[in-house]
Amino acid sequence: MKSTIIATIIGGALVISTLILVQGRSSDQAGAVPVNNVTIENGKQIIDISAKGGYSPRLTKAKANTPTLLRVATTGTFDCSSALSLPAINYQKNLPPSGLTEIELPPQKVGSVFEGQCSMGMYGFKIAFE
Amino acid sequence: MRTFTLHVSGMHCASCPMLVEGELTDLPNISHATASLKLNQVEITGDFGQKTLAEIVNDLNVIMGSHGYTLSSERQSHQAKWGEFKLAAPIALGFILFFIILQKLGLVNLVTTSEVSYGTAFVIGLIASVSTCMAVVGGLVLSMSANYAKEGDKVRPQVLFHLGRLISFFVLGGVIGALGTVFKIGVTGAFILSLAVAIVLLILGLNLLDVFPWTKKLQPTLPLFMGKHVNSLKQINHTLTPILIGTATFFLPCGFTQSMQIYTLTTGSFISGALTMSAFALGTLPILALLSFSSLTIHTKAQSGIFFKTAGLVVLFFGLFNLYFALVSVSLIPSIFSF
Repeated sequence: MKSTIIATIIGGALVISTLILVQGRSSDQAGAVPVNNVTIENGKQIIDISAKGGYSPRLTKAKANTPTLLRVATTGTFDCSSALSLPAINYQKNLPPSGLTEIELPPQKVGSVFEGQCSMGMYGFKIAFE
Repeated sequence: MRTFTLHVSGMHCASCPMLVEGELTDLPNISHATASLKLNQVEITGDFGQKTLAEIVNDLNVIMGSHGYTLSSERQSHQAKWGEFKLAAPIALGFILFFIILQKLGLVNLVTTSEVSYGTAFVIGLIASVSTCMAVVGGLVLSMSANYAKEGDKVRPQVLFHLGRLISFFVLGGVIGALGTVFKIGVTGAFILSLAVAIVLLILGLNLLDVFPWTKKLQPTLPLFMGKHVNSLKQINHTLTPILIGTATFFLPCGFTQSMQIYTLTTGSFISGALTMSAFALGTLPILALLSFSSLTIHTKAQSGIFFKTAGLVVLFFGLFNLYFALVSVSLIPSIFSF
């Protein structure tokens, strides 16, 4: 009984640490190679996100109070990330397996975080407006 | 006429008391039987001649035993058998770890084309079966497999489930292709479905653990009007239910299934729609079959306890997984973890 509890706690800790490790590693990768996915064209901010087996980059830093275009690229995407949901602007769409989907975002306030998810919730990305 | 109160073991479902009563009152010498799931006992009234209680119990067990119930004059105490967790917990945790690592391997990158041939649909099915969709369909398959195995029926319901799944993917895929409209569930619909799946998995998982006796009262069951007798109800429960669940998997929230359905929409013909969805369903078959027939590894009574507890833990994990992401998907809770 006692050993069962101990085994369960150790196992649980193992699962959680794997999650943290895996989680940490992927954000490290995103941090180590700064992805320049924000461009400005004719006064409009364009944010590029790729969707396949999740969204990349997971965290984007963008300029606030600027008209923004979110451009989501799919390349043979058949998983959940093709079912894009942007709760803040009440947007839900199934993206084509391959292609670019453009979504207009209204200017965002300084310090706000815009979130996108796949319809089942297990993939997500964030855009921090500064 | 004499009346006895006997203890029953093996009543694991809400319809079991009805079945026990039905079987007992079918006997010519028993005039009345009332079974209680809560107390795990049955009160019988009948003409037993000069037989002693022990002889009556023995006689009744010959009949009830074949239906998986055991009667006794002494109360059998419920044993949680915590010791079984010693093996079940590490196996379940290993499986869960494996599942999480699989999500991180980036298997989706194996699909590079956006043109869907039947071969691609098959490969997408293979990937889908080890993706997060496993938490939904795999969880249902595993809990179903374990629950039917508990009642001693390891193969037939599983075969029927897969038949139901394949046929529904063929037919409904064809319908989508021919009509050019897709069954759309939207955010709220997906949330409700995920929540329902999560709740069913949590209940079934707890029930499989067999630690808390009260959980069996929560077990979903078919309406009782379908039949009062073990055989007729068992027949429906073990035939129609798996086919229906298999058919229903077409509508369960899974990103891969949905994008295949959307692709199917563009094919514009019944036969290519039907074949695309079938190829996808066939791709998911190997892994789902592995989960379905995992109960065949049980050879001894000791193994069965460990199997049910392992399955219970895994199903509980899948239940929590669905619950968490369902709540995240409608922003009810902040996303602290995503894949």
